Amino acid sequence: MLAKKRISIPGLVLKIAVAWALIAFVAYPVISLLIQTFWHDGAISTGVIGKVFSSARAVQSLKNSFILAFTLVITVNIVGTLCVLFTEYWDIKGAKILRLSYMTSLIYSGVVLVAGYKYVYGGTGLLTKLLLQFFPDMDPNWFVGYGAVVFVMTFSCTQNHMMFLKNAIHGLDYHTVEAAKNMGAGQAAIFFKIVIPVLKPTFFAITILTFLTGLGAMSAPLIVGGEDFQTINPMIITFSRSAYSREVAAFLAVILGVATIILLMIFSQVEKKGNYVSVSKTKAKLTKQKINNPVLNVIAHIAAWLMFAIYMLPIILIVIYSFCDYNTIMTGEFTPGSFTLENYQKLFTSIGAVRPYLVSIAYSLGAALLAAVISITCVRFVQKSKNKLNKLFEYGVLIPWLLPSTLIALGMTMAYGDRNPLIFNKVLVGTTVILLIGYVIIKLPFSYRMIRAAFFAVDDDLEDAAKCMGAGTLYTMRKIIIPVILPAVMSVVILNFNGLLSDYDLTAFLYHPLFQPLGIVIKAASDENASIDAKCMSFVYTVVLMILSSVALYFGQGSGMQTIRRWKQKRLEKKVFRK
Amino acid sequence: MIEFKNVEIKYGDFTAFKNLNLTVGDGEFFTFLGPSGCGKTTALRALVGFLTPAAGQIILDGKDLIRIPVEKRGIGMVFQSYALFPTMTVYENLAFGLKVKKMSASEIDKKVREAAETIAIKDEQLVRNVSELSGGQQQRVALARAIVLEPKILCLDEPLSNLDAKLRVSLRSELKKLQKNLGITTLYVTHDQEEALMLSDKIAVFNNGTVEQVGTPQEIYDHSKTEFVCDFIGDINKLGVKVVSRLNKEGASLDLNRHAYIRLERIHFAPGQGCLKLSGEVINFDYNGIMTKYHVNTCGEIVRVIKMNDGRPIYKNGETIDMYLNPADIMQY
Repeated sequence: MLAKKRISIPGLVLKIAVAWALIAFVAYPVISLLIQTFWHDGAISTGVIGKVFSSARAVQSLKNSFILAFTLVITVNIVGTLCVLFTEYWDIKGAKILRLSYMTSLIYSGVVLVAGYKYVYGGTGLLTKLLLQFFPDMDPNWFVGYGAVVFVMTFSCTQNHMMFLKNAIHGLDYHTVEAAKNMGAGQAAIFFKIVIPVLKPTFFAITILTFLTGLGAMSAPLIVGGEDFQTINPMIITFSRSAYSREVAAFLAVILGVATIILLMIFSQVEKKGNYVSVSKTKAKLTKQKINNPVLNVIAHIAAWLMFAIYMLPIILIVIYSFCDYNTIMTGEFTPGSFTLENYQKLFTSIGAVRPYLVSIAYSLGAALLAAVISITCVRFVQKSKNKLNKLFEYGVLIPWLLPSTLIALGMTMAYGDRNPLIFNKVLVGTTVILLIGYVIIKLPFSYRMIRAAFFAVDDDLEDAAKCMGAGTLYTMRKIIIPVILPAVMSVVILNFNGLLSDYDLTAFLYHPLFQPLGIVIKAASDENASIDAKCMSFVYTVVLMILSSVALYFGQGSGMQTIRRWKQKRLEKKVFRK
Repeated sequence: MIEFKNVEIKYGDFTAFKNLNLTVGDGEFFTFLGPSGCGKTTALRALVGFLTPAAGQIILDGKDLIRIPVEKRGIGMVFQSYALFPTMTVYENLAFGLKVKKMSASEIDKKVREAAETIAIKDEQLVRNVSELSGGQQQRVALARAIVLEPKILCLDEPLSNLDAKLRVSLRSELKKLQKNLGITTLYVTHDQEEALMLSDKIAVFNNGTVEQVGTPQEIYDHSKTEFVCDFIGDINKLGVKVVSRLNKEGASLDLNRHAYIRLERIHFAPGQGCLKLSGEVINFDYNGIMTKYHVNTCGEIVRVIKMNDGRPIYKNGETIDMYLNPADIMQY
């Protein structure tokens, strides 16, 4: 026997509460969706399958989703890896500025980002106008379809590389590079035989994420996909609008879910086969590598700065446009009188203009914090208990990772459109709570995995030491464990907050019409027939959104926390030296 | 006084040890010594309360500890990893247990400073974060954090194993001095037999979940009860049958059916009372400054013997030397 068995009543109540939440909001909606799709009049019905496969649009959207996912795995990995290599591995001039530009995908994403690209490359976009001067015969709406979607998504989905691959490359033991050099290896050999194999596990993880992003793409096909390149998710939204085609939407969501599960299984099998374990006792810090071949060096510099332009153009344009009057935005022609502060003035003086912010901030912050708290609780259940049943909590919180957000949203709307005893005979659809629940659910798997990793990295002796000194479980948790994992939890909360701030995919299904979040407002503004006023405001929204995200990131990266710690240390110094 | 009475500890189906019986006297420096995986840390953790025995009692001053939770036992512990709280400064680490006890700020301050002074932690170090300290300094903080609470018993789990050799030796003597000054009952876990011999009042040698011998360092070293103890502690020669037969011819009466062992330093280069002579040829030698260890071929078997480097010439390979040993120094199992 390893530990004393003491049943704590509050602990048991907490377990029941979390288990209920996971059953009611994760498992039940999915089951309910499956039942409503395949169960009619007391028997299994496969009619929906025929309905879907006889619809040319539905079949094409399915194909498109897979084509997009496979394409993105290649393009995002190339661009993302280059981002990391240009800024962290090779010695490229201006790496600091490049890094900032490549990290912009962390501060805005989804509809906001795609709308930004549209202002550069779209029919009335700046670059299109420039190109038209040289090629007057070209189609102004050239930036539409498969190519446009792939381009936008390739550059917007590199945030995982900038976070995880960057860390992985810094985890590389530079001594191994030096050892290879010492044994006569050239730059290419070192790169492919030493560096890349170490990054392999990270590549696998990122590839899975990228594939899932491609499969569940929403904003990019919706905004720049045009008629010819629609994918499953936008199609699900379209079909879900009418009661007749709702089951088609549900079935499409099921296909997306099944595909995701199968792929995750394949990837995890492949991942198991070849992994390395670092054996370094003393790691040396990575030193940047100068590219010896002058031609390759020039090519690398050109590519790096071209990518800089691609990343920065939409942002610069959004910032400039946010200071422009509606005439300039319409025509794209700048005059000295184009610039105005009116848009910003409106934001800070009209309550209606600030409202989407307040709604989004409240939802995102609430959901990010809740997801973190639930994850911490579940990690604790799983980690500390000897009872195998507790592992179910882990499966529960990880389920949403297997399911596209559209499936979760549809499941929720179908399950809780009427009074349901599972939630004490309440109706959720049409309330403000359903979006919050949805946000929490989609952020659970990521939060859980990151927080679990943080928990497992905590030395068990710390807890034992605290107990030895008389501290109880809660006190130890509050004073020892939480402070140790706090930086990881903060990053998770902030990444989730930023991700949700302008979310569109899930929001489109669950938002309350009176409380429209930013994603909905900005998407509406990017439509061709949006009012000019809405367009002006969408730029301001985006700029403020990026500032908010940047501030959050600054604190999440630890700089803010460090400042607090330094202040605390100074206070202690005063106390100790005074005597 | 601490008593382990028929203590049994299980990890699932695996029994770490059965029927552990030990008595530790008040103020004793008691060491659990043994190779990795022998159960010494398990025994210590059971005493502190991290593990609950499947059977038996652990009695402290007449009271069974088993039902008392860790935080109420009042036993201090220094971990192998030190387990210093990384988000806190040295001062905060030392003050942690005192805060749990809800002492007043001035009392905490007084006690923290006293403990810091005892363990030679300077004021500048008190305000530093624990991650900024060297290994030796971290070790001191871990020790100070354990003694600041004035525990009845102090448990140390391989506390010196992460330090370099020189620091280990110097901290060893400090630890011994500190324990004598505080008079605190100390349980020490180590696999380093030299450390155990030097520090302990008493040693329990663990092997595969059983205690092979309990005794003073001298008893353990000179009169090892079992073959395992004799082999595990110190450097020793296992004498082959040919050497034992030869010694019997010279007048010893050793049992040829049992294994015979003799410590290296019990083989002399000059005749002594009751000593028997063996001659052999130097095959090889290891010079380490203070002494030289010779590998000598005698009767077709290798016997190792050490000699202080006192200025006299060192024997060369191939040289024939005479060795003298007293049959009373030979341990047989």
